[in-house]
Amino acid sequence: MKPILLQGHERSITQIKYNREGDLLFSVAKDTVANVWYSVNGERLGTYNGHTGAVWCWLLYLVVSCWWTYWGGPVGYGTSDGFVNVHVAFTGKQLALLHTNSAVRTCGFDFSGNIIMFSTDKQMGYQCYLNFFDLRDPQQISDNQPYLSIPCSEQKITSAVWGPLGEFVIAGHENGEFNQFSAKSGEVLKKAKEHTKQINDIQTSLDLTMFISASKDNTAKLFDCTSLDHIKTFKTERPVNSAAISPIMDHVVMGGGQEAMEVTTTSTRIGKFEARFFHAAYEEEFGRVKGHFGPINCVAFHPDGKSYSSGGEDGYVRIHYFDPQYFDFELEA
Amino acid sequence: MISNKAPIQPALSKVATSHISRLLTPTDVIIVSFNAHWSLTQSPDSHSLWPCLSVLRPELLDDILREKPQEADGIDSVVVVDNVPQVGPERLEKLKNVIHKIFSKFGKITTEFYPEADGMTKGYIFLEYASPNQALEAVKNADGYKLDKQHTFRVNLFTDFDKYMNISDEWETPEKQPFKDFGNMRHWIEDPDCRDQYSVIYEAGERTAIFSNDAKEPITVEERARWTETYVRWSPKGTYLATFHQRGIALWGGEKFKQIQRFSHQGVSLIDFSPCERYVVTFSPLMDTKEDPQAIIIWDILTGQKKRGFHCESSAHWPIFKWSHDGKFFARMTPDTLSIYETPSMGLLDKKSLKITGIKDFSWSPGDNIIAFWVPEDKDIPARVTLMQMPSRQEIRVRNLFNVVDCKLHWQKNGDYLCVKVDRTPKGTQVYGEGGVLNLFISRVNLTCCFLLTESIIAFAWEPNGSKFAVLHGESPRINASFYHVKNNGKIEPTLICMYVHQHCCMSCVQCLYVFFSVCSMNGALAFVDTSDCTMMNIAEHYMASDVEWDPTGRYVVTSVSWWSHKVDNAYWLWTFQGRLLQKNNKDRFCQLLWRPRPPTLLSVEQIKMIKKDLKKYSKIFEQKDRLSQSKASKELVDKRRAMMEEYRRYREAALQNYHEQKSIRLELRGGVDTDELDSNVDDWEEETIEFFINEEIIPLGDL
Repeated sequence: MKPILLQGHERSITQIKYNREGDLLFSVAKDTVANVWYSVNGERLGTYNGHTGAVWCWLLYLVVSCWWTYWGGPVGYGTSDGFVNVHVAFTGKQLALLHTNSAVRTCGFDFSGNIIMFSTDKQMGYQCYLNFFDLRDPQQISDNQPYLSIPCSEQKITSAVWGPLGEFVIAGHENGEFNQFSAKSGEVLKKAKEHTKQINDIQTSLDLTMFISASKDNTAKLFDCTSLDHIKTFKTERPVNSAAISPIMDHVVMGGGQEAMEVTTTSTRIGKFEARFFHAAYEEEFGRVKGHFGPINCVAFHPDGKSYSSGGEDGYVRIHYFDPQYFDFELEA
Repeated sequence: MISNKAPIQPALSKVATSHISRLLTPTDVIIVSFNAHWSLTQSPDSHSLWPCLSVLRPELLDDILREKPQEADGIDSVVVVDNVPQVGPERLEKLKNVIHKIFSKFGKITTEFYPEADGMTKGYIFLEYASPNQALEAVKNADGYKLDKQHTFRVNLFTDFDKYMNISDEWETPEKQPFKDFGNMRHWIEDPDCRDQYSVIYEAGERTAIFSNDAKEPITVEERARWTETYVRWSPKGTYLATFHQRGIALWGGEKFKQIQRFSHQGVSLIDFSPCERYVVTFSPLMDTKEDPQAIIIWDILTGQKKRGFHCESSAHWPIFKWSHDGKFFARMTPDTLSIYETPSMGLLDKKSLKITGIKDFSWSPGDNIIAFWVPEDKDIPARVTLMQMPSRQEIRVRNLFNVVDCKLHWQKNGDYLCVKVDRTPKGTQVYGEGGVLNLFISRVNLTCCFLLTESIIAFAWEPNGSKFAVLHGESPRINASFYHVKNNGKIEPTLICMYVHQHCCMSCVQCLYVFFSVCSMNGALAFVDTSDCTMMNIAEHYMASDVEWDPTGRYVVTSVSWWSHKVDNAYWLWTFQGRLLQKNNKDRFCQLLWRPRPPTLLSVEQIKMIKKDLKKYSKIFEQKDRLSQSKASKELVDKRRAMMEEYRRYREAALQNYHEQKSIRLELRGGVDTDELDSNVDDWEEETIEFFINEEIIPLGDL
């Protein structure tokens, strides 16, 4: 399995996403740019220069997260300087620009692609909010006024995704808790606390029925989206930064490693910067992929399940196409 | 009747008012008793309300009565000072000043009382402090305070007087303690599969567990939270497990690890068992006083009695007391003297210590009551190593050594051989010796042999049962391991068996049954060597390994990364003696693993010989057993996986059914476009040509 190395960022990658068809791969990093790549060969399609005015461009140093709609449509990403940009994916034309007071940690489109959700950081005296904008209503955009804003000041939201059918948002908090927030009323529909430390990442399966959470407590866990029932646990020895569910096999991939600030200069071996493959039903590890020389910050499966990508603290994105053996491999049962 | 409620209320305290309604609601009897105590409730002092309330209905007022002030409240803060000068009224003020100056150091004095008779004070006073802690402090520090020649204060807690007054003057013989049966103390040896046990401390000391070692996976025998506060120790024969606590040591044993004995020694930090498991020596850096030596205490394990306390005079290496193999003697070294004590009297052997000028180190033979010690060079007198028989104090062997920097005494486990590792200075210079010398003594036969190595010796180890030894020698990064065999045919000539070159080996420790191990500075490299035919069986690595522990049978070895030395990847790995990795046990913040020692075998030499002869017969049985358990294990694993898969499938089917039912809603949400499959809207696709970058390199072929 020979990876394709994508060098388009100068700082650590924060998130990568495939579009619905899987032909494009989007990446954002702590530098100012968001890149789009052809997933098949790693050629760069283009770069979103999110901010045009030179006046506040220097402020923009951290693109914290991005989310790309699965079916063409617009693209959005949140930035740490307090803006959410909505673009048309292929042309890069800016559709909307939403202003916030503090950094945007997570954002996402609902299933219909009409409602944008994003959470802001507790920062500089501002509280953590989960905001909902309906893009069909131009008034909300021009007034910069969300139709729903849920304060979450006690425990900051560190990761969030839309549930199936756009009825609610599943948010992971810094204390390891999950909340299901209704997108209509803003009330908490369900709660769960299975993790002991911060939830770094939440990713849903392709059919949106279940999601996998990656936590600083060295585990990743599989949950049902609607009921928030805990299904499986995958244990490692290092904080897990990201986890993804294979769309075709009963597999999950996890990326993580010793935290960047704790990494010593002595050896990369101690950091355990490998992507790790677990069987979803047996909770057993069956494979590892080496390559990054820093913690892996994000992993994503291609929607066809035949390749996956990982983005690391080292600033590289690596696209891996599985060898044929991967598809034949079966654990004895 | 209800009209009585009004006049009562003002007299009741705030807390009580809330309960009045509760008092009145059950009607009848209660109201009558209110009237009976009417006069009391009129008193302005709220305290006088208490007797009234208690008569009412104690069970209803339970929560209020608990707050009732006790007569003895504050009595703990009172101290009594004796031997205070008796003075008349003219000097009382001055005395009070002096007393105040001395005693206000320990806390605020709230009340002081000087009893008088005929205008003179009685010679004792009462002082009350703000808190009982301050009173305790005053007792601790001011007791024995010398005011002047005639007056030495005796300070006691007031409550202590009460306590000692109640002790009867007659001697009561202590009751005989009933014999407590702890069951079979060697229960673990009766395991049908002969599994050895080990203790594991993990979660940074929060949890301690005992496991039975099994090739497949460890079997939990016992697991407890906060069993020990620091670490644990096994007794030399494995009967007891000692746990450390702020207050002392606890010993556990038997089938269920019940507490067997407790030794109260504040701040205990180190312990040492006698080889016979009869005595235990504890050391605490806290509790030493001049009159009562309490730094080191020797306890009797069976009775729990304190046998003798010692001062910790010099900060020597632990154990300060070294025991002879049978537990009959123990010895300690102080500058120029070697003190040997005998059990059970705990007194000095022959009432006097041995005077040995300049003694540096000593060691008991593990097989006989022989003590070995060495003395360094002193001007013209060469350094010497002496073997001395105990208790006759007869010198059986003496050997002079020259140019000695340091000596290390290594006894072979049975006491057959003693190896003295000598570091020498090259002539003229006083730098650390480049050559190492091994002096071999055979203690039972009158032979010695000197054996010179050209390189400095880093580590030395004896084979546990036999006459082979291993030496690590050389300079980093080129370090060699050599194995030698001592022939016992009249002259002892160590013959070199084999030699390996080991690179980057910094800190090393040798284990020599079949295998030796080296801890390198950053990567724990392991080498497994069969010394019978000198083959390197395996070279492996446990990255960052900090400790190596052999099991009592020599069949397994554990390497571990302790949380005490590294904060990540704390785990212990189990290997066979051939170097095959059996298990990786990751434990959260794993700290320490210790094998439970086994008592010596009860089989005679002949019996062991017979077993060795019939080994083939036994091995067949064992192999069969192994196969059985293996197939059982793999079946168990398959079954477990099947069950998990079944459960997961069931969940997925339900989830997918739900998913399909929602198809119409999804279609509606995305404007009728079906996005469930990747290629469900192929019509929208645009074709694109994609270039693949392939490197081209032309390599000119030379003449073929």
